[in-house]
Amino acid sequence: MTGIEAVGSRSRINATAAVRAYLATCGIVLLLMMLLGLTMRLAQAQWIDVEPNLFYVVMTMHGAGMVGIAGLGGAAVMWHFVRRYVPVSTAIFVANLVFFLIGAALILGAGFIGGFAGAWTFLYPLPGHSGGLWSANGAAAYMAGLLVIGVGFLLLHLDIARGIISIYGGLGAGLGVKQAFGFAPEKDGPPPAVAAATMAAISNVIGIVVGAVVLILSLVNLYAPSFTFNTLAAKNLIYYFGHTFINVTIYMAVIAVYEILPVYTHRAWKTNRVFYLAWVLSTLMVLTVYPHHLLMDFAMPTSILVAGQIISWLSGLPVLLVTAFGALTNVYRSGLKWDAAAGLVFMGVAGWAIGIIPAVADGTIPVNSVMHNTQWVPGHFHTYLLLGMMAMMLGFMTYLAGPKSPSHLAPAGVWLYLIGGTTFVLAFLAAGSASVPRRYAVHLPAWLAYDRAGSIGASLAVAGALILIVRFLVSLRSPIDATP
Amino acid sequence: MNTTRALVPVAWGMLWIARAPLEHEMALHMAVQLPLLIGVGYMLATFLRPYEPRWFAESDWLGIPGLLLVVFATSFWMLPRMLDLALSEPWIDSAKFASLPLLAGLPLGSSWPRMPGLGRAFLWANFIPKLGAIGGLYLAAPTRLCAYYRLDQQAAAGIALIAVAIVLGTCWSVIVFVGSPPFWSRAGIRRQRARHEILEAGE
Ligand code: HEM
Ligand SMILES: [Cu+2]
Repeated sequence: MTGIEAVGSRSRINATAAVRAYLATCGIVLLLMMLLGLTMRLAQAQWIDVEPNLFYVVMTMHGAGMVGIAGLGGAAVMWHFVRRYVPVSTAIFVANLVFFLIGAALILGAGFIGGFAGAWTFLYPLPGHSGGLWSANGAAAYMAGLLVIGVGFLLLHLDIARGIISIYGGLGAGLGVKQAFGFAPEKDGPPPAVAAATMAAISNVIGIVVGAVVLILSLVNLYAPSFTFNTLAAKNLIYYFGHTFINVTIYMAVIAVYEILPVYTHRAWKTNRVFYLAWVLSTLMVLTVYPHHLLMDFAMPTSILVAGQIISWLSGLPVLLVTAFGALTNVYRSGLKWDAAAGLVFMGVAGWAIGIIPAVADGTIPVNSVMHNTQWVPGHFHTYLLLGMMAMMLGFMTYLAGPKSPSHLAPAGVWLYLIGGTTFVLAFLAAGSASVPRRYAVHLPAWLAYDRAGSIGASLAVAGALILIVRFLVSLRSPIDATP
Repeated sequence: MNTTRALVPVAWGMLWIARAPLEHEMALHMAVQLPLLIGVGYMLATFLRPYEPRWFAESDWLGIPGLLLVVFATSFWMLPRMLDLALSEPWIDSAKFASLPLLAGLPLGSSWPRMPGLGRAFLWANFIPKLGAIGGLYLAAPTRLCAYYRLDQQAAAGIALIAVAIVLGTCWSVIVFVGSPPFWSRAGIRRQRARHEILEAGE
């Protein structure tokens, strides 16, 4: 136990056990959601029969489940490492998991019992216009589930922010603002994990609170349909929340790169002025970039769309660049011995970096007017979520499992995940550039080749993830202090 | 001391006298009169604190019961229907004048210091967007929510609430961002160094 942990943990719940519980939940849910994804792909490929109504339920559950589990996995990575530097409450961390499970149960009930199929983005006024497919109660259970999950994350981020303020004085200091602008020596700056956790707290507190507002308004509308509000305003609020939440999952998971690669290379992660500046800029931009989801909404003020487009080009880049560059310099000639954990974490950086390219292309108005709502979109976000964010989380899982658990299979898992995942996302991107629409349950014969290639890739990726996750679950049998 | 204590009844009384002009406009009613009434109770709490019985302080666990009462009392008087009734029935208005200080301001003043930082942050994070959302609703609602206020008065109230939410949100962000003591102060840097030292010693 380090000095910090002794000071920091006032609770009796074991912190490592809590992180393990998070990761076990993430692993199991990730596998289930991947199977739902595979089901959709197989249905589009016409290799299995899925009723279109059920397809949209599956799509909604897959989207919501994956986004939620990405948040939970990112939170596990962030909390595990940030508590080395600031005091945080284990009870709140566990409470977030409990809120998550309650919310997930509500959401799954909404989908598979209530038939809710309004997509994870619950775009107003769709939840209230089901055409008889789901009831107001079904839609309400879905939104209530999101609200409950939001409460948990809000508490978690506020608690971490409190911890950061107690050590660094303010969130600005936690982010390294002084260092970024050259007003304080670089060596006094916060460690990367703290900077990342600060940005996650700032962005997600604002994002969640905005999401809660639109969720409550939508709930009122469900039961009092005469109460309506501006649909474009609702769309703005929803994407403000949705964009921020899913982006922050990457900014939390990336802490695994900052903390795990140095263990392998025996070199500390170098933080310098540019590093802090990148985090400051990305914090500002993640909160202002969401209008790229509204590029097709002609009623939006053009100035906002233009700003959204320009910020889209820039938003991910600063942190991505310092991380990719930092990872390369950290690894270069370090003599590190690659294993599954190091490989996954490194893959995460690469997947993130590569996935940003088609995303930026799509954030450009002339491209967006062609690519919007084609499979180009799932193509780019699956690249940085499946091969980026989730690879980082699986790397963290593998790292926690430690070298003791069966390791000869782990490299096979990594390769399957990488090769299968790459095939799967390339099939989406190729289909997108051939103008195959996204969110279609039934595909034309001309599109089937893409769907079948994608299905094969997805199956391999599921197999790879299965190996890595089972290996982690098996490692849970070892006593807690045996893990790093 | 006694003169500052006199502030409570004086402010209470003045608000009662200024009832008509403040209630004439929905924006003033919601964004000025109601908060000031709560403020009267809050002031009262600071004067009563030394006399607070110990059993009372102990049963108000982490300030949660008190703040729940505040949430219910304030939500009640935010209902458009209650605003209407306060205008038409003097005895309802008297109830408002009694309950906002005693059931919202007083418990707020006595329970807030007992609430841990995380709970306070959580309440702020809920309260500020709630104000903004209600403001947005008043602004957007196509119909009148109160019988006694015109549509334009309702919209003005909406703008006032949104403005309050923006001001509070900005203040809150600046405070947590800059921190206290400001992170550029020597104390801040010293504290940070000490933390790094513990960390290194521990590993
Ligand atoms: C083997 C892994 C996966 C498979 C087979 C898969 C499959 C799919 C498919 C077929 C779709 C619908 C595409 C369409 O619109 O035509 C989809 C949508 C989606 N996926 Fe995945 N996916 C996988 C992993 C992930 C991961 C790791 C995440 C996030 C962390 C994710 C998040 C989403 C989201 C947010 C949607 C959008 C749903 C919507 O349009 O409302 N998926 N996925
Ligand atoms: Cu976005």
